Amino acid sequence: MSFTHLNVASSYSAHYGVSTPPQLAAAAHAMGAEALALTDRDGLYGAVKHVAACLEHGLRPLLGVNLALLDTPGRAAGRIILLARGNSNGAGYADLCRSISQAHQAPHGIPGLTRRQISHRVSAGNLMLLVGGESDVARSLVRGQYVKARALLADWKNLAGPMLRVEITTHLSTRGSRYHLGEAGRMLRYADELGLKAVLSNAVRYADPDGAVTADLLDSARTLNSLKEMDSCQPNGQGWLKSPREMRQLASEISRATERGWMRKLLQETESVARFAVLDPASDLGWKKPVIPEASVLGLHRPAMQELTERVYAAVPRLLPGEKRHDVEKRLSLELGVINRLDFAGYFLTVAETVKLITGLGVRVAARGSGASSLVNYLLGISQVNPLAHDLVFERFLSDTRTTLPDIDIDVESARRHEIYRTIFDSFGEERVSLMSMQNAYRARGAVRDAGAALGLDDGQVDGIAKQLWRFSASSFREALAEKPELGELAERLAADSQLDILIDATERLDRLPRHISMHPCGVILSDASLLDRTPVQPSGMGLQMSQFDKHDMDLMGLIKLDVLGVRMQSAIAYTLEEIARLHPDASAVARAGGHADTSYIDPAGHIDLARVPLDDAPTFELIRSTHTLGCFQIESPGQRELIGKLAPTEFNDLIIDISLFRPGPMQSNMVKPYLEHRHGFAPEQFLHPDLKPALAETHGVTVFHEQVLRILDTMTGCGLGMADVYRRHLGNPAQEPAVEEYFRANAAAKGYSPETIDKVWEVLAGFGSFGFCKAHGAAFAVPTYHSAWLKAHHPEAFLAGIWEHDPGMYPKRLLVSEARRMGIPILPLDINRSTGHYRVERIFEYAPAAAPTVPRAPGTLRLGHYGVRLAFRDIHQMSEREVQRLVAGQPYEHLAEVRDRAGLSRRTYQNLAALGVFDSLLSGTNRADTIAHTQSMARTSLPAKYRPGPGQLTFDLGQIEHITNTGAQLEPAEIIRTELDLMHLDASEHLITSYRQRLAHLPITQAIELLHLRNGTEVLVAGVRVATQTPPMRGGKRVVFISVDDGTGCIDATFFDDTQQRTGPLLFSTRMLLIHGITRRTGPRGISLQALNAWDLHQPETLPAAGYLENTARPHPSYRPKLGQSPAETVGELARRMNAEGLDQRGAQSM
Amino acid sequence: MGMFTEPIEVTRAANGIPLRVTWQGKDYRLVAEPERWFERRKWWEENMRIPRGLGAGVADYEMWRLQLVSSEGRGEPFSVDVSFDAQSARWRLVRLHEQHARSA
Repeated sequence: MSFTHLNVASSYSAHYGVSTPPQLAAAAHAMGAEALALTDRDGLYGAVKHVAACLEHGLRPLLGVNLALLDTPGRAAGRIILLARGNSNGAGYADLCRSISQAHQAPHGIPGLTRRQISHRVSAGNLMLLVGGESDVARSLVRGQYVKARALLADWKNLAGPMLRVEITTHLSTRGSRYHLGEAGRMLRYADELGLKAVLSNAVRYADPDGAVTADLLDSARTLNSLKEMDSCQPNGQGWLKSPREMRQLASEISRATERGWMRKLLQETESVARFAVLDPASDLGWKKPVIPEASVLGLHRPAMQELTERVYAAVPRLLPGEKRHDVEKRLSLELGVINRLDFAGYFLTVAETVKLITGLGVRVAARGSGASSLVNYLLGISQVNPLAHDLVFERFLSDTRTTLPDIDIDVESARRHEIYRTIFDSFGEERVSLMSMQNAYRARGAVRDAGAALGLDDGQVDGIAKQLWRFSASSFREALAEKPELGELAERLAADSQLDILIDATERLDRLPRHISMHPCGVILSDASLLDRTPVQPSGMGLQMSQFDKHDMDLMGLIKLDVLGVRMQSAIAYTLEEIARLHPDASAVARAGGHADTSYIDPAGHIDLARVPLDDAPTFELIRSTHTLGCFQIESPGQRELIGKLAPTEFNDLIIDISLFRPGPMQSNMVKPYLEHRHGFAPEQFLHPDLKPALAETHGVTVFHEQVLRILDTMTGCGLGMADVYRRHLGNPAQEPAVEEYFRANAAAKGYSPETIDKVWEVLAGFGSFGFCKAHGAAFAVPTYHSAWLKAHHPEAFLAGIWEHDPGMYPKRLLVSEARRMGIPILPLDINRSTGHYRVERIFEYAPAAAPTVPRAPGTLRLGHYGVRLAFRDIHQMSEREVQRLVAGQPYEHLAEVRDRAGLSRRTYQNLAALGVFDSLLSGTNRADTIAHTQSMARTSLPAKYRPGPGQLTFDLGQIEHITNTGAQLEPAEIIRTELDLMHLDASEHLITSYRQRLAHLPITQAIELLHLRNGTEVLVAGVRVATQTPPMRGGKRVVFISVDDGTGCIDATFFDDTQQRTGPLLFSTRMLLIHGITRRTGPRGISLQALNAWDLHQPETLPAAGYLENTARPHPSYRPKLGQSPAETVGELARRMNAEGLDQRGAQSM
Repeated sequence: MGMFTEPIEVTRAANGIPLRVTWQGKDYRLVAEPERWFERRKWWEENMRIPRGLGAGVADYEMWRLQLVSSEGRGEPFSVDVSFDAQSARWRLVRLHEQHARSA
């Protein structure tokens, strides 16, 4: 007879369970189980993974939940399990979901249900209640309160009646502890006396005995006690998934302690409950069956397919005025045919409805991803890219070969994301919408902290280690220790201290275990009114309900997810457009300011409709080619600027190619070099076969796009583009690629291609693997890239303000100060009456003629120096949002006393503002130093609230009551900069490096702006402020570290290879101000970088090299030197790594 | 009841239940069904390392209470607690219950 475990916690019981659902299912399968339950704490976080794993192993799945039992004040009085009834057409599962959602509405923070709520929940007969070893009954038993225990059990009988099972568990622990045999026996006796049925479980927390140690660590982390102090957690290490034989042995031991005949009954009843709870994934869970909102919610009065067809055809004249009717109809019949056959019309209408809601709020929307391949999406307003214009392949997005819903991702302004979510909830209704969640797992830092706390190690020491664990996984920690010079010190300590060894083991055990769920940064689930029967929900950080399922669960559970991604660049663009309209309130003023000959895309109020701006603006491409692209979407990183410099884009399609090339796939498979050579005419184009010319012409014979792979496969095998996309997805998968190769070779040969051609083409396809890029995605990305560059070229001041306001990029704000200098845009200091809570463009009436800027501006734009960007109060350290609001509301101020009186600032903010010179314009006869001294001598800045005038009361004009003494003190420029950096993280008044010039006077320092004029291989010293550090993941080889520093004249990108890393040690990651010795390496006509040979910390003047360093023969030399005239292969590989480190896919997206 | 720890040899049946014991050079047989339990092991004090894959017996000791009588059939039955450390695969005698302690 088999045994079914009814009480199993997986690692999705955060800080409790150890093994993943697949591990548990595999273990159950290995020991011959037929079914397996998952009853995680507080939710179904692991349920979908469990069902999938069970199906894979031929096990029948059961689902339940382990919930806290709440007493009247809302405290946990124990825990119980609810198991969903199976084969009930989803009734059991629905009640389980509803029970969990209800538990998460418990008012006192602990999710759980009261006895009464549980009683109500099980009354329909769809949930089985297990009262076992964690229940209030068992708690009383352990305390020896036998009468109470029996009374509690009797009460459960009254509350749950036939749906109650007493759950008997023993871990054969010592007398007096939980799960002791005697306790189990006593519980069984009470059940018998009360006529209750009992089942056997092992309260599983780990798949095998090895997990017991990890469970101890988790107990410690959960209870916030060190292992030594902990006494109430697992009594021993017996909570694993025991085999049927072992469970029968336990049953036998229990029966020996009670009645011999009970063993059989216990085991039989367990299996009978298992049969009750076995789920049928299809009928109970709606497995893999997509559910869309009801037609009435979408406002449909006719069949969805008919509605969709009519809507897209109606949009053709407006959106595709120039396309040939025949092309449009052909494409639409293809797309609508597929959508009809897959029955996805409702899905498209759902997405369209959501986009309509968002645009209705006046929010910028852009579709990303393969969705841009669809003309239907374009005509529905979901995507902004016309797929016909860019030759995008629909089958890359959707075809008859696909059974799951396609992903349509929507980028919106990040600043308005929450508003958008609320609108979606309001219009579809709470019963149909939920946010998606994501699992946050232990990473190295958190794991080492919790492991250290469990072991009772010294906090400071553990903290020190945790800080060093910068972007390693704990499991590679040992390896990292051996390889990373900056961890050298730690490695030595480790060797000396045996405690650290066990710490690393413990850390590795915790690594990657789930910790908690949080709101996914962009996923919104849309469904019909049955949604809350199909997913449990709990409150998210922003209050809206959030599903307990993550993105991997969506398709399997038939849940439709929409990615509504907040993109800061969209907010920055929106802000820029607002600023332009505010400054130039009519079309002709905007045209004059931006140098636009064409005003068709500017409305009478001065708003620019970017969607109508032509994509062939010459000044925009000139700016892009200059590589001064800081702040521009996707193309501002050092690696991208290098590639842009080489590629020199002249049209929109070049941007698509640029973005698509800047990926690990193309970089590693060496596509960049041939592409660039053919592009610039250094080498003749070569095509693998003349038949492939149409597919590959746009990239000069180099395969860059997924779409091209589809066309190659289709052309040579005749498989059709839909199947071609299936094969494409199998490329690079070791299990599936051989079948694709076989198919390709056979069919291409049958179509008469020579073996040589087939070999060559297959080599390209195999090398392409699954990476490469979807052209539609590149096209969707290139739109905001182009728009941001267009704004930077035509409206640099407003653009800078927008970038400052929403901070969309990868660089710290202070780098934008340098960029402003290079753009010739004055930065206007904080001012009590002129600054606001936002970065604003401001007219300057007394301007000084400025030198020509380094960054190109479109001809005919505003004259340089007439407008500047005023710094805002919002980024001042320790100044609250409310203080900013009050300060701005009280403007204008005539003297300091008014500020004190009206703004209600904290003393610290008052002092900080004085230090930043905010009050300078109010001063007469005294200076900033005097004000600072004055504010520091004040006892308190503002009156307590009760003495302040209330609304309607007149403020007594205090006049210039503040008497400021003229101290005669003056502030040093360096002091001013330090204050700016401390309080605003900006060096607005002059560049930070200026104050270090003195200590570098003895050395020949080269500036960034001079670097470009140097020959390849020149030895230089450069000094600057670190602005970016990138460490691509190691792939077998040695790690490379990229550090970018800024010296006020530009950015210098330095590459640190292994030998240099050894030389520099810890300062590689910890130092802000750097002196770098390196050799120039030319990367393109507009690009140069440094191969670093050594580096120093400017804050340690005693360590800096002496005069004549560059002549010193003992100075380091490169151990390997790139060939003169550049070696593109190396550069490409390096770019690939750099690119990887820049995390292209994530940039621009952010979580708030 | 005496408490100490010294090596002891225990032979198990195929189902894991102890069958015979050799202690201080003498053989004993079991006269009652043995009882087993698992006692907490403070691995954080005893282990230098806890890498994954250590297997059973890190978080607890397997304990058995055995009613023994000399194989030669002489002497009173007495009970002992023995522990099995799965990590070292060694048996230890950890408690000798009163009856025997008096007679020994």
